[in-house]
Amino acid sequence: MAGAKHSQAMFFQARAGEKIRNKVLQKALQKAKPLFVGKRAKAMAALPEDGFEFEALRSACVDIRNRVLGDLDVWLELFEEKAKATGAEVLWARDGDEICELVIDVARRHGVTKATKSKSMLSEEAHLNEALAAAGIRPVETDLGEYIIQLAGETPSHIIAPAVHKTIEEVEALFAEEHGRPLETRTSADIPAMTREAREVLRQHFLSAEMGITGANFLIAETGSAALVTNEGNGRMVTTLPRVHVVVTGIEKIVPTLDDFATLMRLLPRSATGQTISNYVSLLTGTKQPGDSDGPEKTVFILVDNGRANLLGSAYQEMLRCIRCGACMNHCPVYFSLGGHAYGWVYPGPMGSVLTPLYTGIENALDLPHASTGCNQCGTVCPVRIPLPGLMHRLREEQVERGLRPLGESFALKAWAWLAGKPRLYRWVVRRASRYLNWLADDSGRIRILGMAPGWTAGRDLSVPAGKTFHEQYAARKRA
Amino acid sequence: MRLALYVTCLVDLIRPSVGMASLRLLEAAGCEVIVPESQTCCGQPAWSAGNRPLAAELAKKAISELEGYDYVVIPSGSCTDQVRNVYPQLLADDPLWAPRAQQLAARTFELTTFLVDILKVELPPADFAGSVTYHDSCKGLRGLGIKRQPRELLLKVRGLSLDEMADCEECCGFGGAFSVKFGDISTQIVDRKCESIAKVGAAAVVGGDLGCLINIEGRLRRRGDETTRVLHIAEVLAGEES
Repeated sequence: MAGAKHSQAMFFQARAGEKIRNKVLQKALQKAKPLFVGKRAKAMAALPEDGFEFEALRSACVDIRNRVLGDLDVWLELFEEKAKATGAEVLWARDGDEICELVIDVARRHGVTKATKSKSMLSEEAHLNEALAAAGIRPVETDLGEYIIQLAGETPSHIIAPAVHKTIEEVEALFAEEHGRPLETRTSADIPAMTREAREVLRQHFLSAEMGITGANFLIAETGSAALVTNEGNGRMVTTLPRVHVVVTGIEKIVPTLDDFATLMRLLPRSATGQTISNYVSLLTGTKQPGDSDGPEKTVFILVDNGRANLLGSAYQEMLRCIRCGACMNHCPVYFSLGGHAYGWVYPGPMGSVLTPLYTGIENALDLPHASTGCNQCGTVCPVRIPLPGLMHRLREEQVERGLRPLGESFALKAWAWLAGKPRLYRWVVRRASRYLNWLADDSGRIRILGMAPGWTAGRDLSVPAGKTFHEQYAARKRA
Repeated sequence: MRLALYVTCLVDLIRPSVGMASLRLLEAAGCEVIVPESQTCCGQPAWSAGNRPLAAELAKKAISELEGYDYVVIPSGSCTDQVRNVYPQLLADDPLWAPRAQQLAARTFELTTFLVDILKVELPPADFAGSVTYHDSCKGLRGLGIKRQPRELLLKVRGLSLDEMADCEECCGFGGAFSVKFGDISTQIVDRKCESIAKVGAAAVVGGDLGCLINIEGRLRRRGDETTRVLHIAEVLAGEES
């Protein structure tokens, strides 16, 4: 698997502790969560006013996505045909390495030395920036969040808010260092001023780059277009100013018609940022035609598998419905305790806990499907009704089936199930356990260290009642 | 009406008073309550660990013990979710067990849902001096739609005032084995719950799932909160002497 060599997902547990102790990160996360949750709730609550109802819209979106996945090859062929008719080139990539090869090849053919980029998670899957730099082509991220983390030499920690893990103070320090302007030229925490500063730097890049690289929120089969949703307008700069535009996107991102796209757009921005519609929605179709004032001379679509085709027809096919809104992570108590980097690969939160094992190998991300309390807030908010806890559960089953769980865990479960199958013995053991817990408790009736679950009592006291088990009390009551 | 009370393993071991309170509530409502003697565990730990064969074994055992009653009542949203939503799915491919699982699922109810939606009887009024705040447990809330029922019941308790905390639907971080495997993440999550509880300043936090309650109480005490009581709703409804 292409991603496995880069995936750090096996270190989830170790990372988690480190992230919890990071006070700066915790401050950034605590600030962000209520914003995401509150804005989405407000946008969803306003839906009926606009004549639509959330559940009905959700059903429509699920139907669109399922229709595509049911005949993915047909829709991809149609897309290829339509895109070619508009003058675009359509290429196919099996994995991340092939993405890099194809993009570098296009760049070389067109004498590209600098490429501006609008956010693309697939280029993160492929580690495209590293490959471009190694080939002598300078990649410049232009989404403000992506720009920040590129300066910091980091990876995105969220799929729609890549720098959500950073505080304003951290970004101020970074800008002061990288932009070579002393901090005093701005007042502290002046976000518009900081944005203006980044914009001034980026403007030079927009004008001088020969190639623009973007992802696509959707590909529209009937028109051969790429749909791009942004809030900063950088997507337009990247797709219209350079001579060459390369779209790198997953094969599952296709939708049949413009109408379908319009339907999905009713839920995508509302789910993601709580907006009725995002600031910029671009539909990019073909190359610059005679008489057009702008647009690229060359458009290349790179349609990527990188593990997606394997999910078709599998128990995990529903995951391919994902429209990358980030609502699952925005509502996840685990995500907002750690931030995205703890998850060890491109996709964090509940959707990442499903995608990372599937794309990088189940054996390379053993903790992730268990990194969930099962609260199902993610499933409740997912606009395309992906049963995220159910898919994580299926991955847990697969780990058991393939013998990938620790022996201690398997043994404990088997012992427990065996005991639970023998009621008389079970009662006896529970009675003994009850006495044992009482014996462990201190004078105030609390257990402060429980050898069987040290991780639990590291943060909590277990209160112990001085009484007998329920079944003892019940038996005594019946006798009385 | 003859019903089986299914007492969860946590209630049996850690807080038997929840089982006794449930028993008294149901009897006071005029039900003939039987606690099947061979009951042990609903199999949820095996299921959430991904061990389907073990979970199926325990599901079959529970079905054999619990079928044949008019209703099965469980003072826990998560164990009820296991019987109602997981058993039919777990045994769906077994022609012998699938219908039995479905029949049991249809007759199994969480305690507050049963009292409010099925029995619809007036319970003898209980007393509670002070304000409480209610924590909505995830499995009950999102798996079974338990939200209104416990609140309706609490509001009938004399002397009790209900003060909702912020994010009452937010997970407390228990998640069964999750809180043991990822103790530090769970602590981080339950800390936020403790802060919401502290902010609302209620005398007690009340819930319908002992797992969440043990988790919340454990963290409150470790943080030094010695006064906020943590109670199962059955204990509140049946009076404090249960």
